[in-house]
Amino acid sequence: MSVETHSHNAHHEDPDVVGSRNRLGVILILVADIAFALSMVFVYFYLRAQNVNDMWLPKATEEHAAIVAVSSSKAWTVTAIAAVGLLTHFYALKGARAHNDVQLKLGSLIALIASITAIYFQYNTFVTAPFTFSDGAYVSCFYLFAVMNFVHLALTVFISFGNWNRARLGLYAANVWHVDIVNVWWVWMVVSSLLGAFCLSFP
Amino acid sequence: MTTTMNHPAAAAGKSRTPIIERLNIVTAFALGAISAFVVWRLALQFLPADSEVRLFTREDKITLLSMIAWFVGFMTGIGALVAPFRWVMGKDLSHDENMFLAGKDMGIKRYFRYTTDHKVVGIQYLIITMVIFGIGGILAMLIRANLGTPEGGLIHPQAYNSIVGTHGIIMIVGTIIMVTGPIGNFIMPIMIGARDMAFPRLNALSFWLIVAAAIPLIWAQFIGGISTGWSAYNPLAGQAPLGMNGYIMFICIFALSTMVAGANITTTVVRMRAKGMTWNRTPIFIYGVVASVALALPAFPVFFLSQVMSGMDRALDTSFYNTAGGGSGWLYENLFWIMGHPEVYVILIPAVAALMEMAPVFTRRPLFSFNVAVMGIAGISGLSILVWAHHMYISGWAPLLNAPFMLTTELISIPTGMLFLVLVGTLWRGRLWMTMPTLSIFALLWNFMIGGITGIYLSDVPADAFLHGSMYVTAHFHYTLMGAGLTGALASLVYWFPKMTGRMFDKKLSWISFWMVQIGFNVTFGGMFIVGLQGQPRRVEAYAALFNRGNLITSIGAAVIMSGMLVLLYGVISSWRHGVVAPMNPWHAKTLEWTVANPIPLENFAVLPVVTSDPYGYGKEKK
Repeated sequence: MSVETHSHNAHHEDPDVVGSRNRLGVILILVADIAFALSMVFVYFYLRAQNVNDMWLPKATEEHAAIVAVSSSKAWTVTAIAAVGLLTHFYALKGARAHNDVQLKLGSLIALIASITAIYFQYNTFVTAPFTFSDGAYVSCFYLFAVMNFVHLALTVFISFGNWNRARLGLYAANVWHVDIVNVWWVWMVVSSLLGAFCLSFP
Repeated sequence: MTTTMNHPAAAAGKSRTPIIERLNIVTAFALGAISAFVVWRLALQFLPADSEVRLFTREDKITLLSMIAWFVGFMTGIGALVAPFRWVMGKDLSHDENMFLAGKDMGIKRYFRYTTDHKVVGIQYLIITMVIFGIGGILAMLIRANLGTPEGGLIHPQAYNSIVGTHGIIMIVGTIIMVTGPIGNFIMPIMIGARDMAFPRLNALSFWLIVAAAIPLIWAQFIGGISTGWSAYNPLAGQAPLGMNGYIMFICIFALSTMVAGANITTTVVRMRAKGMTWNRTPIFIYGVVASVALALPAFPVFFLSQVMSGMDRALDTSFYNTAGGGSGWLYENLFWIMGHPEVYVILIPAVAALMEMAPVFTRRPLFSFNVAVMGIAGISGLSILVWAHHMYISGWAPLLNAPFMLTTELISIPTGMLFLVLVGTLWRGRLWMTMPTLSIFALLWNFMIGGITGIYLSDVPADAFLHGSMYVTAHFHYTLMGAGLTGALASLVYWFPKMTGRMFDKKLSWISFWMVQIGFNVTFGGMFIVGLQGQPRRVEAYAALFNRGNLITSIGAAVIMSGMLVLLYGVISSWRHGVVAPMNPWHAKTLEWTVANPIPLENFAVLPVVTSDPYGYGKEKK
């Protein structure tokens, strides 16, 4: 391999180059998360289709009342709140790109509030479920979706808080790729929540 | 010499050390152990007894919670959470702090910290791989010792099962990381002309996650072990002792490590190749590493999910795999093998690609048909995600799909054959420079040919009905993973040893260990093929007298392998300490890593290179 050399300063890479690299890295990590989420969808519909021993939603017995699927409206509510968060974060991103500091701070703050609201609703869905873990395959899947969406939302709260704090401190004045990447996360968060809500709409 | 950062407190004469400087492997283990103990005590105190009859649920909850606490404590203690929290607080790491994390002028201490320099991470991976192989090898010898006589009995059956399971899973993990870990981290960035990986902190994270994962697996040995074999099929795993929780945690943490490493390595190659390094000028080893991690990236989350559900079944009494509650054992088998078969190629591809990288160097000829090599790697990668159910022919799951899966499995011989063609074509009429890596190319062709041909029988539904679950299967996959994979990894170690350590690997020791390992290997698994064809099932601790001779052959071969590996280990230690100082380019190779001086500077290149030709231009100047 023939080689020539040219001078380069490692510590002063173009922010756009760094941003592009970080964006690709996040997308690749999301590929893993997408594989995880799609596997959950597979699990849900596989067990639903198999209905082994008629225990997807167990019928009433002498010892046990019938297990009834919960309405998926709560899952859709969480998704809707997350979608509001995404829209407001997108509003913040546009503000960041336009160097509109107020828009960036306001958008990221509302996105943070949306993520906290969504996680509260998710928690509420979890604790008000009218069954226990051992009540059949549907219930197992319900809790799996609930727990995983909760973990996603917890990460979103963490990231959104950092994003808003950094906006507040004026750290995005020079470049906005952090905000851009947070937006990528928000998009995936909403899609993954939507996948869960979609599955639970077919009990 | 130890570097300390120039922080304001130090400048003002105060002795307060920043937290980032105080965290290391000791704080990690301490915080992990304390966290696990505290959570264990709290769980014992406050977790209510199970209301319904189930054997392990409360104990499973306690064990899993303690292991999760260990994991969080360990990662906090090593410093993995410093940067994310600093990001959230808006206090990004300074240049000094980043230099500290890179291990600048820190000597040997940098190997025990959350060091971000890819070369340090590469050496850390090398050491942990050797430790894994050491432990796995000892467990293999215990297995062979127990199988020394037909009646077994040297080891308690339950302990024997756990040894088999633990040997299996740690060797799988060891072989997954054996090339992409040490060589992928140390050599790959230099080979593409980069100063470091794209995400140095994620690089450190991927390594320390493996260390964090090791403890639950060790823990498992004291609470019932892993008695299910490495595949941990459910519902068997749901009924296994508490040690199964260690397996679950181990896999979950290791899967995280694999995902992080996959994203990091792929981004590095896609975004950070030197100027002029077009895809046609990118060394074939890089293709192998990227194919491996790109396959692992979507595959391991599936494994992760399968273990999350396994843990939920055990600790929360859910019903993913429990048929009485509406679950399905087939579900586990599908999820496991959707990961499990690509994983075979996650192991194989980088090892074969490493040997393809060495073949032109030691034949002084260009790589025979670079494009065919790339197509072969791409073809294997693509097909490998479509073959998983050939492990499930006789499980009863979807018999109608057996034929399509047989077809896809047999189709994979075609791209595999392309890689053979490239290697044979490169060797053909080359002026061979006989080194241990050169011998390894021949060994790979021999071993992989046997592994591949015996695999065709297993991919065939009627033949598999007879061979499934026998020692034949065990011999087959050892021929591929060890005969091809490990052979490539050991050759990689010898080939890149001068660049990684600054010293040449002792030639005599490399040859002795090569012949001992290869002869021992073929004896071991040749014997195993014989007893497999005679009908000896795998994973048994006693067998009929009929199989005695084959098992004796296998045990003798295993002892020779172990001796050869010990010679290799001695070679690593003695060459590293007292070996001949290596010149910058001892093999006269043409890839970029050989253009940097030993020892390699922190940022690899004083000035970044610009590539102007392909890396295999051997012999062209004679035309």
